[in-house]
Parts: sequence; structure tokens; C-alpha cells
Amino acid sequence: MWLLDLGVVQPNRIVSGTGYGLYAATGWLGAGVVSSLLVAAVVLATKPIHNRFWMLALLLTTALMAQPLLLEVFALRKLPEDSEYARIGIGAGFWCLAFFLALMLLETLGQLKASRRLQLSAVLLIVAGWWFCATREGLSSLSLIREYANRADQFTQALAIHLSLSLGAVAISLVLAFGLALAMVRRERLRRPLLGLVSFMQTIPSLALFGLLIAPLGALSAAFPFLQTLGIRGIGWAPAMLALIAYSLLPIMRNTYVALMEVPEPVVDAGRGMGMSERQIFVQVKLPLALPVIIEGVRITTIQAIGLTAVAALIGAGGFGTFIFQGLGQAAMDLVLLGALPTVFLALAADAILSALKFQGASR
Amino acid sequence: MIELKGVTRRFGDVVAVDNIDLTIETGEVCVLVGSSGCGKSTTLRMINRLLPRTSGEILVDGEDINKADPEALRLNMGYAIQSTGLFPHWTVARNIGVVPDLLKWPSRKRDERVNELLTLLGLDPATDAHKYPHQLSGGQAQRVGVARALAGDPNILLMDEPFGALDAITRENLQQEMLRIQRQLNKTTVFVTHDIDEALKLATRIAVMDQGRIIQHDTPEAILRRPASAFVENLIGKGDRGLKLLALRTVGDLMERYPQPRRPEPYSNGVNEADSLRVALSVMVWQNSAELPVFSEAGEEIGTVKREQLLQGGA
Ligand SMILES: Nc1ncnc2c1ncn2[C@@H]1O[C@H](COP(=O)(O)OP(=O)(O)OP(=O)(O)O)[C@@H](O)[C@H]1O
Ligand SMILES: [Mg+2]
Repeated sequence: MWLLDLGVVQPNRIVSGTGYGLYAATGWLGAGVVSSLLVAAVVLATKPIHNRFWMLALLLTTALMAQPLLLEVFALRKLPEDSEYARIGIGAGFWCLAFFLALMLLETLGQLKASRRLQLSAVLLIVAGWWFCATREGLSSLSLIREYANRADQFTQALAIHLSLSLGAVAISLVLAFGLALAMVRRERLRRPLLGLVSFMQTIPSLALFGLLIAPLGALSAAFPFLQTLGIRGIGWAPAMLALIAYSLLPIMRNTYVALMEVPEPVVDAGRGMGMSERQIFVQVKLPLALPVIIEGVRITTIQAIGLTAVAALIGAGGFGTFIFQGLGQAAMDLVLLGALPTVFLALAADAILSALKFQGASR
Repeated sequence: MIELKGVTRRFGDVVAVDNIDLTIETGEVCVLVGSSGCGKSTTLRMINRLLPRTSGEILVDGEDINKADPEALRLNMGYAIQSTGLFPHWTVARNIGVVPDLLKWPSRKRDERVNELLTLLGLDPATDAHKYPHQLSGGQAQRVGVARALAGDPNILLMDEPFGALDAITRENLQQEMLRIQRQLNKTTVFVTHDIDEALKLATRIAVMDQGRIIQHDTPEAILRRPASAFVENLIGKGDRGLKLLALRTVGDLMERYPQPRRPEPYSNGVNEADSLRVALSVMVWQNSAELPVFSEAGEEIGTVKREQLLQGGA
């Protein structure tokens, strides 16, 4: 932690620049605060002090919230004032520190058997802290922020495209997969071919599937010009959407099917025997019992779709993947981060929301 | 009244129920008994059309059940099964209220009914009503299953080993309660079990089944006295037939009554009027006494029962 670079000063966005360790970057004060904080955390974690886990959780949350301030101090001390293009980058030490603190916080919350609400508030506090720091003047020289400032409009657009592509694909495949699962429940014969087909689609590497769709869709839109007016072409959102739907089908379909089939037979038998109609049995018994597992399928699918949408940028679909691939092309790592960080954040958010939903469904 | 006429059910080549005739009078408890796989559940499930029959006729109050709407038919037939089939995502109260809800009872009437049934089956409306099935003991779950079957006030009760998989004591308690409830409600009941003692205790008439056929259909006493075949004899157990007969009758049937009830002598051991003759015999053997005082439910001594009488007239 003390040896790794906390931050980097770059003369412009491409050149890699010089790194500074914790002490060099923030001076005695910063290094002292960080070191004593870590020592305090270790002491709290090992000594049997009353309420120590609560204190530890509080300490770690505050530390994580305030961590970007280190970069602010760094920028204040080391950024050459005369150079217009100079900027600071985030170093491995910073990420390691964040990772280490987050792990400790996770463990502490686990020890406290913290409720979902408490965990969520800790995460929200930290996000709010980072957000607050990012909008301050002091960090405007951070290259990540610079990249964002150069592309604020594009960023909003990418967010919109990314969300609508991935969530749209999940919504459409939810409807499709639900219908297919119902068909499999009704007709046992359909099960093998349908599951086979859908699992086969899942095995095609994503890039290959995106590529494979270019030709037929291109031909289609060439043959029917009105499709072009809808924006359906060999590249762009149409093949991306199709591929995303193809990938999303399996988890939802399989989970829905399994969940519906696993409703205990005596429960259905009792319902029928008491005079419930098949429809009532489905809506009042089978569906509620299957719901947590179905939501689990949607959760897996959503996380997967958010990740895949980033790859879909390669065929011109837009979204955060655009920044990643641009950044890779220009060797500008902070542009890559500008695409990657929000993608990860979206996936984590989807995970949290759908897990909470599932939990709700199961405990009813 | 339920009538089965020449009813057969096949599963492929297996004949599960083979051309049976069975009449169950209104208010009667008919117990189907027999070894595993003899077709008891199949017979029961044909009565509420959970299974279609292969051939024959089933009439309820003279009407062919195939003419009725299956859901309407089932709403008038309570149904309880061994694995209870309680809805795991609903509370006990909501489980019991299923049929009233299906019948679109007003919610107040439903809630009153649920409370009434919880009390009737020895559950606590205040604490148990809001539990989920996984929070219940096996015995409580079976009670809820029976309460659910009774909730819509059906004319007919169909019960498939509702007290199976319970320990002997809980089972005994539930049987006792079943008898009490039956005395109050007088439902036409078809009850499936493979436990002959349960059958003897609960039935007004027993139908002994073997390999899809009904071997004998008669009162418990007649089955014990005149088993129709070696199979039935085996089922009831030749050796303790006498004890089982004694178990069918109460001390009140055989005792000699005093003209006036008396204050019981302190520390005298006797039997209650409602105890079975089997219990009386057991107490006599234990105490090596030839005569026992008989007490009423109020605790007064109302007569005596003698060993001689028991041995001569008991069975
Ligand atoms: N759905 C089914 N498909 C095929 N065969 C069946 C089916 N249901 C029952 N059978 C067969 O019919 C016969 C009678 O079964 P049933 O369930 O009526 O027996 P039972 O008397 O209730 O036995 P148990 O005491 O074990 O519950 C058995 O041989 C069984 O294998
Ligand atoms: Mg059975």
C-alpha cells in the first residue's frame, strides 16, 4: 500500500507520466492519516473491545467516503500549475486501498449480521461521498474527470443507450422466455429441443454472435429499404439487441421452467382438490412460489446483458463500450475507465435491486 | 349419499380399481382400508374427479358427478391429504380461508369461520393464525389441513390418510377430535387409511380393499366378528380380535347402574363411563380385581362393571 503509486501526474492525456507513492503524493499528513487509520482498523478488528464492530464499520465507511480527498491533496501538491494539459491519474495504490477497505467493511458488516437496509445505506453513503468529491473544484484536474468533462453529452447519451439496450433486451426476453417456459411446461416434448437451442445460442462467443448477425441483417435491410428507416442495419443497435436477447433467454427460461416444475405436487393437488381452477392455481399458487427463482434468472440475465452491451459497442451499438474501445485505441486508460466504471456500477446496482426484490418475494 | 357403481380405473395395464360397488350413506363415515397400492387413493380421487374413471358410474345424491362442473363439485367436497398440501406462501388463516374465498364469502364471515375452525381443531386463533406452514409442527399442519377441508362447510369430506406420518399420541388425539367433530357436524365422509385400528375407531362402516377390489364392506363389529376372508382376518389380526371388539364398546354399555349416584370413596380406582371395555379389562388385570367402580363425567360413582360380565358379554 505504501509502496504502490497512489497517483500519477501526466503532462497530457497520452503520455504515461510519473508516479508518486503515498508519502510522496500526500506528504506526512496524508500518509500519517492513512497509516493511523489502518492501524486503528487492525486494532479494532483484533482487540475484544465492546461494540468494536460497530465502531469499525463506522470508521471504514467514513474512510471510504473520504478516500477521494487523498487525490485532491495530491493534485494540490504535485500538479504543475502552469501546464494546461497536465492532469493526475489514479494509481494502483489508490485502488488497492479502496479494495482493502471495502473488503474489511464487507467482513465487518457480515460479522454484524447487518440487515439489507444497513448494507445499502453504507454503500449509498460511500457513493454519495465519491460523488461529492468528484464534483469539487479540487479534482477537476483528475484525468477521469477531464475525460468526462470533454464528453459530458456523449456520456449521458451512452448511459441512455446502454440502459435501453440492456434493459430492453432483458424485458423482451423476459416475455419471450416466460412464454417458452410455459410452452415447455404444457408440452413435455418441446423441452429438449427448446432448451437445446437456447443453450446452444449461449455457447456462441459473444463477439462471434455479433459478427454473425451482421451479414443476415445487412442483407435483410438491403432487401427491404423500409427497415433502414427504422434503423435496422447490419451494424448498430439491431444486431446488438438480437444477440442480447438470444443470450438472455436461457437463464430466464430455464429458471422459470424449473421453478414452475418444482412447485410441490401435493400443493397443486390440494389446490385442485379444493376447487381452484387451473388459472387460479397458476396465478395464486404456482407463480408466487416460482417468483424468487424467476427473479434470480432475471438478475443473472440483467448483469450479463449490461456487460455484453459494452462489447456490443464493437458493432456500433453505442453505450459505455464506445469509451472503452476508443480508450483502448488511443491508449488513454482513463477513457477506458470512463466506460468501464459506469458499466460495473450499473451491473452492481442491478444486482442489488434485483436481489432485494427476490428477497422480498421469498419472504412473503 | 355417494354411490359407486361398477367403477374401474386403469393406468395402462395396471388395474388400480377393479369394478367396485360402494354406497356411502349421508352422514356416514366410510373408511377405506387396505395395504399399500390396493387402490384406496385412486377410489377417493375419482369421487372428486381429480382422476377420471375408466368405466362405471359415480353418483352424488343421485346425480352423476360427470354432469357437474368439476370445480363446483370439489367446492362442496372438503379434501385433506397426508402431505397436507398447505400453501407454503400463505399464512394458516389464509390457507384455511381458501374455499370460503373461492366461494366469495364476505371477508367478515370468512374470518369468523377461520377462527371457529382454529378453535375447533385445538389451534390458537391469536398465535397460530398468522404463522406460515413451515413454522408448524407436523401435528399442527395436519390439523390445519383438516380445518381447511372443513372451511367451506361442505356436505362431503374426502380424507386421504390425513393423520399419516404422525406419532402415535398425536394421531390418537387427532382421531379423538375427529370423532368429536363428526358427532357435531355429521358430514358424509370417505376416509382412507392403512391402519386398521384407525379404521375400527372412526368408521361407521369399513370397506376393506385388496388389489383394486372391495373384499368386505360392513360395520367394524361385523368385520371383527365375521371376516369375509383370510385376508380380512389377517388384516384385523386374529389374536387380539377380542380386545379390538372390547375397544368398540364403552363401559356405559355393559355396566350395572346404581339407582342413585353416590359420592365416590376416597382413593378408589375405577373407570369412566366413556372408557372402552378394553380399558376396563386392562385396569382389572392390572389391579387383579373382579369389579370396578364406574364414574360419570362429573366424577360421581354411578355403578360397577364386573369381570364376569366383561368376559361373557363383552365380545
Ligand atoms: N398416476 C398413476 N400412474 C400410474 N399408476 C398409478 C397412478 N396412480 C396410482 N397408480 C397405481 O394404481 C395402484 C393403486 O394406487 P393407489 O394410489 O390408489 O394406492 P393406495 O391404496 O392409495 O396406496 P397407498 O396406501 O400406498 O397410498 C398402484 O398399483 C399404483 O401403482
Ligand atoms: Mg394412497
